[in-house]
Amino acid sequence: MLKIDNLHVTVEGKEILKGLTLEIPAGEVHAVMGPNGSGKSTLAHVLSGRPGYQVTGGSVTFQGRDLLSLAPEERAREGVFLGFQYPVEIPGVNNVYLLKAAVNAARKHRGLPEVDAFEFLTVVREKMRLMRMDESMLSRGVNEGFSGGEKKRNEILQMLVLEPRLAVLDETDSGLDIDALKVVAHGVNTLRAADRSLVLVTHYQRLLDYIIPDRVHVLVQGRIVRSGDKTLALELERRGYDWLTGEAA
Amino acid sequence: MSTALLARVKDEYGSVRDTLPASVVGTERRRSALETLCAQGLPATREENWRYTNLRVLERARFAPTLTPSAAIPELPAPLAGFSRYVFVDGVLSSSPSIAAEAGISVRSLRAGAAAVTLESPPIPALPEARLALLNEAFATDAAAIRVQSLAATQRVELVFIASTAAQMGASYPRVQVALEPGTRLALVERHLSTGDAANLVNCAVQVDLAVGSRLTHYRLQQTGSRTAWFDTLEATLAKDARYELLAVSTGGLTARSTVHVRLAGSGAEVALSTAALGDRLQSQDTFALTEHLAPQTRTEQTFRGIASGRARVAFNGKVVVREAARGTDSRQSLRGLLAGPEAEIDVRPQLEIYTDEVRCAHGATAGMLDESMLFYLLSRGLSPEVAQRLLKWAFLEDVVSRIELPDLRRRIEVEIAGQMSEADSLKELLG
Repeated sequence: MLKIDNLHVTVEGKEILKGLTLEIPAGEVHAVMGPNGSGKSTLAHVLSGRPGYQVTGGSVTFQGRDLLSLAPEERAREGVFLGFQYPVEIPGVNNVYLLKAAVNAARKHRGLPEVDAFEFLTVVREKMRLMRMDESMLSRGVNEGFSGGEKKRNEILQMLVLEPRLAVLDETDSGLDIDALKVVAHGVNTLRAADRSLVLVTHYQRLLDYIIPDRVHVLVQGRIVRSGDKTLALELERRGYDWLTGEAA
Repeated sequence: MSTALLARVKDEYGSVRDTLPASVVGTERRRSALETLCAQGLPATREENWRYTNLRVLERARFAPTLTPSAAIPELPAPLAGFSRYVFVDGVLSSSPSIAAEAGISVRSLRAGAAAVTLESPPIPALPEARLALLNEAFATDAAAIRVQSLAATQRVELVFIASTAAQMGASYPRVQVALEPGTRLALVERHLSTGDAANLVNCAVQVDLAVGSRLTHYRLQQTGSRTAWFDTLEATLAKDARYELLAVSTGGLTARSTVHVRLAGSGAEVALSTAALGDRLQSQDTFALTEHLAPQTRTEQTFRGIASGRARVAFNGKVVVREAARGTDSRQSLRGLLAGPEAEIDVRPQLEIYTDEVRCAHGATAGMLDESMLFYLLSRGLSPEVAQRLLKWAFLEDVVSRIELPDLRRRIEVEIAGQMSEADSLKELLG
């Protein structure tokens, strides 16, 4: 599904990713963990095509295509979804309008007709119930006045509606209380499928109690320094990152 | 330049003087207006509050009104449910598509009046920014005079002013006088359109007089053609506890200038002035809005959202003056401009003059580009850069447009704004 090979990325002249290599097969959930400043969010952003991240070396292949050559909106239409760590508020742009525009952009890309408005709303309402979101949020501005937890739930709602091939969730667990975390995790788990891959970028092991990853990778100073199964996350929880930071040098 | 121009104004006045209806403005009052204008001179861009207006169009204009307005009524926008519509072509009531008034309200064309029945309005101190209204006073060919007497319900009136193609042979002078008696309510929609694509000159003057406890909701839509020069002066006086909601959307014209002067003369009077202006290509959109607080416990809320694209210039100069007697004034200004092109220009300017204590005056003014993080968020959801940008411009204007309380009108303005922003069907689709 996704193959990252020796990726080097510079932000404002400073190299953040220094030869990152990672492969995520279809149907798997991988967690990327690491201390602050290790490059986790940079990885998430560079996969989504955010401006300001300069790729100086390496490659990213998504479903056999060169992902880096695609514009952000093309990546989205091809099925790449980024769940933002800090979702922006866009007052005046209605939530449901955005959802519909996003779905239709992807459908148009695949040569499909636009969604039926009624059926679409039915689907959205169902997913909102799953995310325990109040329906009134649909007619509000995108994330406008939402609490931190509501914003994260809205990110997952968008993901559920868009049904991406690859979802990269950037610290989706940060700022969530335990109940919200369970709701978000449940939402993510419903999307697990054989033809879909998920990347969970996270600082803490806590999220992984609810979304069991197939693989765990530790990112330190711009490189993956260790990979393992879910027990690696537990080990990190117990021992911290210090014992691994030496390996990056 | 101004002297030569004024000489021409006088000449043109002399040539049409005898044809101008005294029932609209008395001959003496016309002459006096012209004299005052000659004494003050025409506005010039060297003046602080005119610097953003394109006044050069006046040099090429013919000031005398079109005396033979086009008989053909152009295609009008669909009527608004519950509103009585009156259509004026080149400033003169065109009777055929207009609908009779209802009880409790009188709507008259002063041109049709036999005698001079000009509304008695309190003298408004001469304001240098308001002097294009003098030109209207000298040349006006008709006026819509609205008086609301009934307390029963909110009255609803729509005035449509059309500059027809014939106006290239002369100017048109839309003129409106609105008087609300104590405790009455009126919803007024005022639209300015043009037919074809002629270089019309429109000079509009509106006078609003709100008695104790009355309430006027006034929607003003300026959607004239792409070569029209549109000048406008609105003067309003509010008595005790009167409330005036003025919502202006300006998208049309090559050059548009609106001067708004609101006097809060009675305690507890309130004005909410919301303006949305869109400029593209070589358009200039300029508003000067002055609120004078003359009595205690008065309130102003000024909201401006303007977008300049292409090589357009969009300006809003919002001034609040708090006089000695206006203790307990509460005034808020939120003025924001969006630059949507490297050659566009935005000028937003809040001004405050306070001559008393115990007031609360807040103002914020910003001018900037589209927010990059919002833009990226939309792209990351698959929207094209063009649609994302339009959507954000759209959202920017929503602060003003969402205040339109009539769903039908609001939807239409939304669609029209979408059209103005050269929206593809994609955005209209988003409007549901």
